[in-house]
Amino acid sequence: MPEIAAPAIIKPRRPNILARMFRTLRLPVNDPFAVAGLLIYLVFIATAVFADQITTHDPTEILYTPSYDLAADLRPGQDGFIMGTTSLGRDIFSQLVYGSRSALLIGVTAAFMVALIGSIIGLVAGYFGRLVDAVLMRLADIAFGIPFLPFVIVLAAFLQPSIWNVVIAMALVLWRDTARVIRSQVLTLRTRGYVEAARVAGSSDFKIIVRHIAPNILPLSFLYGSIAIGWAILTEASISFLGFGDPDSISWGYMLQDAFASQALAKQAYYWFVPPGICIILVVSAGFFITRGYENILFPKLNR
Amino acid sequence: MTEPLLSVRDLRVSYQVGRSFVHAVDGASFDIPKGSITGLVGESGCGKTTVARALTRVIADNAAITGGEILFEGRDLAKLPEREMNALRWRDIAFVPQSAMNSLDPVYTVEYQLGEVLRRRGGMDRRQARKRSEELFEMVGIDANRLNDYPHQFSGGMRQRVAIALALALNPKLIIADEPVTALDVIVQRQILDQLKELQVRLGLSVILVTHDISVVAYICDRTVVMYAGKVAESGTMQAALTAPSHPYTMGLRNAFPDLQGAASGVLTPIEGAPPNLANPPAGCRFKPRCPFALDVCGSEPPVVDVAPDHPVLCHRARESAALRIEAAKTETWMARA
Amino acid sequence: MTNFKAVGSRLLQLALVLWAVVTILFLMFRLMPGNPMAAYIDPTFTLEQQQQLMAQFGLDKPLWQQYLIYLGNLLQGELGQSFRYREPVGERIWTLLPNTLVLTFSSLIIAYAFGILAGAYLAWRRGSFIEQAAIPAVLTTRAMPEFWLGMVLLAIFSFSLGWFPAGGTRAPGAEYSGFLDLYTSRDFLSHLILPAATLAIYSQGLPLLLMRSNMLDVMKEDFVTMARIKGLSNWTVVVRHAARNALLPVMTSFAIAVGYQLQGNVVVESVFSWPGLGRELVNAVAASDYPLAQGAFLMIALVVILMNLLADLLYAVLDPRVSHA
Repeated sequence: MPEIAAPAIIKPRRPNILARMFRTLRLPVNDPFAVAGLLIYLVFIATAVFADQITTHDPTEILYTPSYDLAADLRPGQDGFIMGTTSLGRDIFSQLVYGSRSALLIGVTAAFMVALIGSIIGLVAGYFGRLVDAVLMRLADIAFGIPFLPFVIVLAAFLQPSIWNVVIAMALVLWRDTARVIRSQVLTLRTRGYVEAARVAGSSDFKIIVRHIAPNILPLSFLYGSIAIGWAILTEASISFLGFGDPDSISWGYMLQDAFASQALAKQAYYWFVPPGICIILVVSAGFFITRGYENILFPKLNR
Repeated sequence: MTEPLLSVRDLRVSYQVGRSFVHAVDGASFDIPKGSITGLVGESGCGKTTVARALTRVIADNAAITGGEILFEGRDLAKLPEREMNALRWRDIAFVPQSAMNSLDPVYTVEYQLGEVLRRRGGMDRRQARKRSEELFEMVGIDANRLNDYPHQFSGGMRQRVAIALALALNPKLIIADEPVTALDVIVQRQILDQLKELQVRLGLSVILVTHDISVVAYICDRTVVMYAGKVAESGTMQAALTAPSHPYTMGLRNAFPDLQGAASGVLTPIEGAPPNLANPPAGCRFKPRCPFALDVCGSEPPVVDVAPDHPVLCHRARESAALRIEAAKTETWMARA
Repeated sequence: MTNFKAVGSRLLQLALVLWAVVTILFLMFRLMPGNPMAAYIDPTFTLEQQQQLMAQFGLDKPLWQQYLIYLGNLLQGELGQSFRYREPVGERIWTLLPNTLVLTFSSLIIAYAFGILAGAYLAWRRGSFIEQAAIPAVLTTRAMPEFWLGMVLLAIFSFSLGWFPAGGTRAPGAEYSGFLDLYTSRDFLSHLILPAATLAIYSQGLPLLLMRSNMLDVMKEDFVTMARIKGLSNWTVVVRHAARNALLPVMTSFAIAVGYQLQGNVVVESVFSWPGLGRELVNAVAASDYPLAQGAFLMIALVVILMNLLADLLYAVLDPRVSHA
């Protein structure tokens, strides 16, 4: 069996860590939609980073017109407000720009937590099997039985409303999907020749996991992480919309709640509540497009 | 020889792969007489399954019949309008697939699937279809009370019988069986082949049996067509192919398979190497790279030589076949090449 | 025999999940910082009155006793008293559940009918311009926040065009004699259309994408090729064989989608002031009405868990390979 001998003979090459990481992650740069998704991400990241430079006003400041009236419900372009103002006299454009910060912050942290917890649980369950597996998979069953959004609402409401509590609540439930997939992947990896060989050769479990299994599940973790970014942003928007969000941060969900509560629908203030929704759609679908590009790489059968 | 039921003339079938074309069948000609079993034999990838499917004109999305004629009762199937071709499918030409497991729809009972053909293609009503289904099951030796079972409830051999029953449903003139017993164990293989032969004789059917296993051909066929790399290497009666194989490839195949009767005829000798890549076939005789008798002349296109009446061979050295046969019987001949 | 065993272990798993969710719920609501009664204790209450109120809701006992009482009550279907409405939680939930179910099922049935047909169509037209354009469009509908879609529909069709009412289930002052009378009235249906459309637009993506990819897989199966060789009509091949097989996993996903939808309802019901379980949960949480929030949560969880079970059973019933093993 040549597979057994191979790892012993071929010395693993170690190019610089960054190049290795990119290769391991296998970014889908050949799929036009995935590239579009990556570009959208770049634009939003740039917006979030340079928010202070881009915005025209403090997003929470109550503004006045040159004639010292409250700058409330101004239409786009009026008195120099690019996208108009809210009913309380705040600049919509600046809120939208700052919204990208909380969206990215929550999206990335939640996705990271979900992917990390899910991957570790899936890895441990799949690798060690038996009782560990049984217990962890029953936990996953339980997590599947918890209605996600209600759970996040209750937790976010009872702990103090903050971005982090939303992230924690999401991580507590959403790890289940990642864990199940990673587990089954690990189960198949475990039977591969080189893993068997490493075990026979006396490598420790830790070494086998780090050397042979983790690199192979990394793209899958990344895939589920990028799905979770979208989920996290949508969830945060829902929570904020329902009024359980972080009152101190401007998010797109908060803007929509503000608009809804301020009768923006009846006032026909489309300029107020349409842009935050579009931003959410853009970022979330960018995640989906990247995900799809990924699936085409990981599961080429879907290609045709 | 009387007028054949089916006459394939210079058939060409190509697949489009990316921007290039693979000529899976590259000018194949052979006849299928009425009331006989013809074995279409060759290694996997030689184009035999493509030929079989081309006869039904249900081929892969990326494949097309690019030339030649398929004359069936005086009509050229290659050029028949789709509507007329469809009218002819299963009523005149039926098919027994390799894996009955995958070719029976898992969500319908066997009776439904027989009934579907009998009613939609045979114009029967529900009662007639039921009666005919029972009759068909009896013909292939399955108890009629199993008609209501689903495909997965049958064993492999039974499923293959069901597939034969399906093929017989509308009394076709020609049955194409594509590796009908390959997936089965040897004992079941024989049972199914015996059954097929018995039905063929009783019903006077014409059968094309596609197989890679020349011993299956030897066991039940009357005639054989040997294909290699998209071309017909040799065709003729079984008698001719068994006693006087005249293409080196046929001689090699004879050495490579055990007898289905179980009589071990000495050592099995495989033909070294693999069939050529059809995207880029070798010039001249396509068997040349693996042929122990290849000469320089084999680098040019080989002629079709009639070594006997009704026995064409595609080989430069066909005339010397008697001498080559003696050499080919020796194991060393095939070893030396490797 | 194995079937009984499988069903048995599945039921055991169901019981475990239910118990775990119930316990998590208990801990969530009892271990929260602050006095759960704080919002309902009038500052003018004497200490004695406060304690009396606490005792009335069983909050003066140690935690483990509260847990046992809670489990016992649940087993008897007793969900406690709503702080806010001063009425049994169970009754309140039973009056709201039908509204939620009507909204959920009407939207999902539309979503599945459309998604299955469109998915099969797109599989059939694989590689065409329409397919290339439709897939990103469908993914985009999955990327929409449901409540935002509801807001946009509301702004256009209710506030701008005035075609549909802005919220609730019935015109002010309208009275109906019973469920059937209400649910079949024009009034109710006009209230239902916008929220149902919102949920349906969001939900059609799942069956559509699932159906499409299943169809693409099934179309490559031997039995589909055989159906063509049999000379069966295109319709028979595509619908009776390919679609019938591709439909199996889509149908089982329906049950799972019901569970997801109930969660999505939480926001959409709030947008349309739809008096359902989700909106009640949000209101109860906002008003610190713990028993009611707990009851609504439990009801939603119960439906989610039962639907997961139903998905398994449905698969077993619909797939002869499982049902006729």
